[in-house]
Amino acid sequence: MSLLAADGITKRFAGITALDDVHIAVDEGERVGLIGPNGAGKTTLFNCLLGLLRPDAGSVSFDGQSITRLPIYRRARLGIGRTFQRVELFSGSSVRDHLLFAHRIRSGTGALWKDLLGLGLPKPAEIERCDTLLESLGLGGMGDEPIEALSLGQSRLVEVARALMTQPRVVLLDEPSSGLDRAETTALADTLARIQTEQGFGLLLVEHDVELVATFTERTYVLNFGKLITHGPTSEVMRDDEVRAAYLGDFVAGTS
Amino acid sequence: MTDATTTADPAEMAPAPLVIPVLEMRHVNAAYGPFRALFDVSLSVGEGETVALLGRNGAGKTTVARVASGLVEPTGGEVMVDGNDFTKTRAYRYAKAGVVHVPEGRAVFPDFSVEENLTLAFSRTRDRSGVRDALARAFELFPPIAQRRRQIAGTLSGGEQRMLAMARVLVETPRLLIADELSLGLAPIVTDEVYAVLARIRDAGTALLIVEQHMGHALALCDRAILLDHGAISWQGPASEAAQAAGASLFDTGGDSRS
Amino acid sequence: MTASVLAAGVVEETIRAFFQGLPIGAGFALVAMSFVLTYKTSGVFNLAFGAQAFISAATYFELHVRRDWPIWSAVLVAVVLVAPVLGLLLERLIFRHVHAASAVSKLVISLGLLVALPELFKLIVDYNREQPFGAVGIIPDGTTVYRLFGRYPVTRDEIAAFVIVVAAALALAALFRYTRLGLRIRAVVQSPRMTELNGVNADWVSSGSWMLSSLFAGLAGVLLVPTTPSLGTVLEPTGYFPIVISALAAAALGRLVSLPAAMFGGLALGVVTTQMRTHVPRDNVILAELQGPALPYVMLFAIIVFWPAIRRQVAGADPLLGVSPPPPALAATSRSRGMTIYTRIMALAFFTAVGIWTFGYANDFWISRITHSVIFSIIFLSIVVFTGLGGQIALCQVTFAAIGAFGAMQFAQRWDISVIVGMLAGAAIAAAVGAVLSIPVMRLGGIWLAIATLAFALFFHDVLVKYSWVGGSLFHGRGVPRPEFLGVDFSSRENFLILSIAILVLVGVLIILIRESSTGMALRALRGSETAAESIGVISWRSRVIVFSVSAAIAAIGGGLLAMEERLVGYEANFDPQTGLFWLVIVVVLGARTVEGGIQAGVAFVIFPELVLHRWFGLDGAWRFVLFGFAAISFARHPEGLLEHGKRRSQALMQRAFARRAPAMAAAGAGGAAETGEEP
Repeated sequence: MSLLAADGITKRFAGITALDDVHIAVDEGERVGLIGPNGAGKTTLFNCLLGLLRPDAGSVSFDGQSITRLPIYRRARLGIGRTFQRVELFSGSSVRDHLLFAHRIRSGTGALWKDLLGLGLPKPAEIERCDTLLESLGLGGMGDEPIEALSLGQSRLVEVARALMTQPRVVLLDEPSSGLDRAETTALADTLARIQTEQGFGLLLVEHDVELVATFTERTYVLNFGKLITHGPTSEVMRDDEVRAAYLGDFVAGTS
Repeated sequence: MTDATTTADPAEMAPAPLVIPVLEMRHVNAAYGPFRALFDVSLSVGEGETVALLGRNGAGKTTVARVASGLVEPTGGEVMVDGNDFTKTRAYRYAKAGVVHVPEGRAVFPDFSVEENLTLAFSRTRDRSGVRDALARAFELFPPIAQRRRQIAGTLSGGEQRMLAMARVLVETPRLLIADELSLGLAPIVTDEVYAVLARIRDAGTALLIVEQHMGHALALCDRAILLDHGAISWQGPASEAAQAAGASLFDTGGDSRS
Repeated sequence: MTASVLAAGVVEETIRAFFQGLPIGAGFALVAMSFVLTYKTSGVFNLAFGAQAFISAATYFELHVRRDWPIWSAVLVAVVLVAPVLGLLLERLIFRHVHAASAVSKLVISLGLLVALPELFKLIVDYNREQPFGAVGIIPDGTTVYRLFGRYPVTRDEIAAFVIVVAAALALAALFRYTRLGLRIRAVVQSPRMTELNGVNADWVSSGSWMLSSLFAGLAGVLLVPTTPSLGTVLEPTGYFPIVISALAAAALGRLVSLPAAMFGGLALGVVTTQMRTHVPRDNVILAELQGPALPYVMLFAIIVFWPAIRRQVAGADPLLGVSPPPPALAATSRSRGMTIYTRIMALAFFTAVGIWTFGYANDFWISRITHSVIFSIIFLSIVVFTGLGGQIALCQVTFAAIGAFGAMQFAQRWDISVIVGMLAGAAIAAAVGAVLSIPVMRLGGIWLAIATLAFALFFHDVLVKYSWVGGSLFHGRGVPRPEFLGVDFSSRENFLILSIAILVLVGVLIILIRESSTGMALRALRGSETAAESIGVISWRSRVIVFSVSAAIAAIGGGLLAMEERLVGYEANFDPQTGLFWLVIVVVLGARTVEGGIQAGVAFVIFPELVLHRWFGLDGAWRFVLFGFAAISFARHPEGLLEHGKRRSQALMQRAFARRAPAMAAAGAGGAAETGEEP
């Protein structure tokens, strides 16, 4: 029984089948890639997993329990964390507030009456906890910075940190390399890999950057035209002719 | 990898402009808010020339297309159309100058009927009877959409929408056609049809800037190819050599796990 | 026998109500179409409609009644000339430049215009509002009664209104269907960028559609005067509110974007209105109320809450939506410690000086002004909480303030209980009302929340306040005492001022606590990105409902204090819904994000017109509305608020120093990346 699993997901938009009977599973402690060319259905699948879309058929389960009909926030509280392709941060907040808030949500310690009695102010222990995580992500000392002052790469790390503060059991990364240059991508991947090894959550990486997926993940799913065309250990998937054809077109597949 | 990245400054690589190119981008930078999308991109498309713009997802291809048609104003550098500075010019002037853009995805007005979509495009330069003639030509070029002329465009299939988007621009024989990810999400057979049409207008003298992720068709159609990687031009040269260069840059790290 | 006679009577009444309803509905339809036209083409939810309609109507009466122009030429100038030019000016000077702004800031701008435009008009054309005028329509002998089929009476005005509206609707349909401009307008609505790719200048098309919708507003302005009771005695922009509310209900049926739905919705609502008045029995108080002024508000609220299309509404399907950059984030708000200490010392010095002057030297007038400033600061802090922290707009804070004021009054008068208890009870009631009101609409958020709360404010104003258990009986809230508690008598001016300041400080501290604690973080998170907030487990609507209730309670406390200060509930002077719009805009414009901003707005609201305009410059009171309008417009460019903007500019040096540091950090990050990123 996998931790996060999608079984037979089918989703149609106005007559176009965006996903066709897709199965995918992620376990705690593993790194899984999901690739496919533009328009293959990656984002749709991602949204079905997270609850932004309801699949027309099939089910999503988490830890053996069906979550197909749960709203986004319930899934988050079960332990599904995510990042965003177009960075979604809380403008007007400091870096540390992002983490602090995620922590409060997770532990359920935020209540209006506490705020009004002055008990809701950040406590030293909480601040320390946040700063420790920031430190380990290479953002040490930046807790008080306004979020707007960060570079894109740093912003992505804050998204990861925010997700981690909710103590997720699986984290879904939505195209973390987009908007980053190659060096920044590599740096991000290194940090991610380290944290994942330390904390042992499951990781699903939705990416178009084949190189990142090749170096970072253990298993990979490949989508094209809404169908799962192959799945297996990443090194094998990368050798697959069908995969190369999906990315490069028939030209290369035909000649190589 | 070595061959692919040893190219000198891309601007120097571009063929010396004996005649003024239809479109020229000089050291263009572009960004969407905090997202830097293009870094110092220089390229040109000459009269009747066909150029394939290749690269993986997120490499900046679509942004190049958007800058080239005025949809996105560059944050640095210049865009020239027929030798005139169009850098700060709005998109409709590009269209009037004959630089037309078929954007990626569902590039039609979803609430309009097929006929209304086309009429909007044709009525800019034509009177009522001219529009009628143009509609007739469009339906001649793309028989599948002729049968659906009163259908709402949003309900067409992906391939039909793409044909509609092309019909809009092809009747007029533009100076330069910028086509973004035409094969996206299309069945292979439909892609073949779409590219057959592109070949016809290339032969009629329209310059092409073809943005593609699937390179096979694009390379067969074009003379020249430009590879983008992380918002910068990583290689450019004859289309015939592009596949090798691109294959290397997309998949060479797969070698690590193989060895 | 009797049954069939009765049935025949019912049928006849139904038919009669139908023919009465159509002209009323035609008015709704006209206004609704104008709304939809503006909203569709520019994304502006144009509450300035009332002002546009007023200007055309006032021009018409100025020309026709006072200067004896013939009807046709007065109509030509007022409707065909003035209205489109006004629309063009609005589009060119204001709305074009705020294209990327949020729907909420556009709403604030239109509120500013609603207040400022009529006043500006009155100043320019020396329009005499005192002059009584008859509600003359644009139809000669409009009150002549005809009988349809020999029995159903309709006036010539009503027939004309109906015919003109139907003709206008048909003309609009023809325009959209058969003309190039119409096609282009519809194209711009779907995607301005796609339209530009077709070689069409989308800005020109926008101007055209603003002119068109303004023409509609002007036409409605002159056409509706004779058939609208609220415009019967004096022509004021607020007179259009009841129609606007019904029209909004009609427009909401088509999610503010469908013109046919707006037209048929308007006609249908007109007929429903008259049918209700005919058939619903009057013996029950609530049912009787439903036939009267309550009906439009109830309809609007019900449609917003229950109409499924609104809940299903999704963001526009513009295929090139991704082209626009994300809206710019507010500038970073970091301030150095030294700067903070400096400003605190200055503020302390200032308040000390004001305090010494107030308690040592000021006369009664100024003490009263200062007390008013303090009390309005408290009320405005409720806007800081909901709009500043919560990022949503509610237009009924004024109603909550009124509830607090009436609470204090009722408790003191009916049961002789301390006004403080009454005020707190009012606050509790306001919080409860806020929660009940907001739960169904909070999920919709944005513009729908603003509309629903406006409907509630007007409902309170037109209906509830007339009940004795709300607004008191004959003497409408006279005799609110000042409190006495903890053994201190607060009835003297000075003591009451001290009490008000104490409450202001308390509320301010509570707000800062909220801002810095979990609730504040939740609100910042929701403002920043609702999707991301939900992805870490926030239940967005719940946080907002809580904050809305808190804000309602604060407003009620302020309202209660105001009643005690004035020793009466000055409902008309203080708690009119339009005053509430004014409040919102002044707070948002001066800076809704901070407690200081709220206090500055309170002081500005009370002191500025009196001191600066009147005493220093000797200007007419109307100028404050005009200035206010300009402030609202400037808000579009500085959404953080004018004072905050000024403050930031004064910190330019610090900012620059900060900017030098930021790239250094980014470079450090990238540098680190480059090290690890080297190819093996």
